[in-house]
Amino acid sequence: MKALNLFLEDIYNDKRIVRDRVVPEEFIYASSGYLPQCEGIRPPGGVFSHISGIDLVLGKDGNWYILEDNLRVPSGASYPLIVRDLCRRSSPRTFQEFHIEDNRNYAQLLRHTMDYANVGGLTVVLTPGRYNAAYFEHSYLAEQTHSPLVSGQDLVVEEDGVFLLDYTGKKERVGAVYRRISDDFLDPLHFRPESLIGVPGLFHAYRKGQVAILNAPGNGVADDKGIYYFVPRMIKYYLGEEPILSNAPTYLPFYEEDMKYVLEHLDTLVLKDVAEAGGYGVVFGSKMSARQKEDFVALLKAEPRRFIAQEVIDFQDLDIMDNGVRVPRKADLRAFILSAEEPVVWKSGLTRFSRNPDSFIVNSSQGGGFKDTWVLSR
Amino acid sequence: MGIKSIEVTDRLYWLGRYSERVYTSLRLFAKSYDDMLDKGDTYGELCRSLEIPNIYPTAQNFLRRYPFDESDPNSIASNLLRAYDNAVELRQEIGTEELSYIQLAVYEMNRARFSDAPMLEFQKIADNILAFWGIIDDQVEDENTRNIIKVGKRVERIDLFGRLHASKVDLHREVRRLQGRIDRCSIRYDRDCLAELGRLVEEDTLDYSAIVHTVERLTAV
Repeated sequence: MKALNLFLEDIYNDKRIVRDRVVPEEFIYASSGYLPQCEGIRPPGGVFSHISGIDLVLGKDGNWYILEDNLRVPSGASYPLIVRDLCRRSSPRTFQEFHIEDNRNYAQLLRHTMDYANVGGLTVVLTPGRYNAAYFEHSYLAEQTHSPLVSGQDLVVEEDGVFLLDYTGKKERVGAVYRRISDDFLDPLHFRPESLIGVPGLFHAYRKGQVAILNAPGNGVADDKGIYYFVPRMIKYYLGEEPILSNAPTYLPFYEEDMKYVLEHLDTLVLKDVAEAGGYGVVFGSKMSARQKEDFVALLKAEPRRFIAQEVIDFQDLDIMDNGVRVPRKADLRAFILSAEEPVVWKSGLTRFSRNPDSFIVNSSQGGGFKDTWVLSR
Repeated sequence: MGIKSIEVTDRLYWLGRYSERVYTSLRLFAKSYDDMLDKGDTYGELCRSLEIPNIYPTAQNFLRRYPFDESDPNSIASNLLRAYDNAVELRQEIGTEELSYIQLAVYEMNRARFSDAPMLEFQKIADNILAFWGIIDDQVEDENTRNIIKVGKRVERIDLFGRLHASKVDLHREVRRLQGRIDRCSIRYDRDCLAELGRLVEEDTLDYSAIVHTVERLTAV
């Protein structure tokens, strides 16, 4: 996380990593997550990714692999809290007999992270509203952190400051916004003008240092699937350290050598469109028909920057209950890291599993489920 | 008093109103249902007293639609869903545990829909609403939050009591409770209306229509 934060600060300021040719500039400026509006900004406290969700899998070789970093608006921290509460009620002996780390401190960690970023005033949770798929999480985290849950229309920007309006017209200064709205919709004056869920002028106040936004706008450039390939290099470049966890072996068809490998090993690779998320835009070479392969290769040659290819990691199954029957399913772990003075790993996480026995896709938007995550203290 | 957005204030107020409307409607329906067991089609009286359109061709139709038809804006089920719609957007204000009682009431309503003895299930809905009000009183620290809900509840009760021609004693008590509560929260209201309401419930002969009209105008500012 330190390296990713340093990368974001560098990209939007000095660009040393580009000048030193560690990351090609094509991968920065062509990324949909790169926002030129963020050039020159150093957020309050120097933290860009306050709440990060890192997706990991445990391979059958016993190694943990990082599948992707989520540094924009990662979801899912509320579910382990709810499911732990249910598990403690339904299976109290589990918690008596095993030394399972207590995960109920997430709200305190989050609150500390918010307070660290806050430039003075209220901390609010900004939601697009009830019909967003993650609305439960927005309202639950607002409740747990004792923060007002607000929609765009509750906030106004005046003289560079952000204010929460109340029923009587009273205004109170806002010092930090934990936004659960994507960059595109955050502020219609600076991003998508048709956004009705954002706050006009919010980005201007942020640029002036009058409010903190968690996570910072523009983080998408660092969790882009194309940039993922360069993260081990970033760790060496910024920290002078070797990565502790491995990335899934990844190829960039952008490089001639990698393109050759991908074309020769298409059947054994998984191909991902860097612009997609949520388990979409993922194709397994082994599952494509001859015609589909032909079309895909043509597309790959025409737009090599658009795709990455990865070796398929045969990750371990976890047992789940499916209609009362215990069955093995593919599962991953989203670990949450909260960054204030230092990054802190929450001793819990979101264990997601596929409901379909033949699928590797665990995303809830595609029918995946989740279960409690037990981190043993000894 | 902590700062509350316009939307939160509005939702707290309407949560109070709809939860009261469901509770009182259930009690009225229970009485009407019981009467019908002996006297036949007496549901028209209930419709008249609540000033809701009598769109029900038979007693059986009334017994199914008035409590359960979510497409009928006057049904108990649709009022309960409106209470839920407000509550679910107030989790951060009232708390998850508090909200769960409204969710449980919705589940009980769905159970009642398929029951041969719905009155038994209705009692559980009423119990959950009472538990909701109780836990709000007991657990919600913010006095402003509690008071906005209670003001909504009182306004709705006065409105319903006015329509149902409740006794002077009952109306007098509810208006006094409202007067004692409304200045303890941040809700805006028409002071002249409140004074008028106080005067109306002191009259020897109550003008119910004026009471309903006045209470409806109270917070419409």
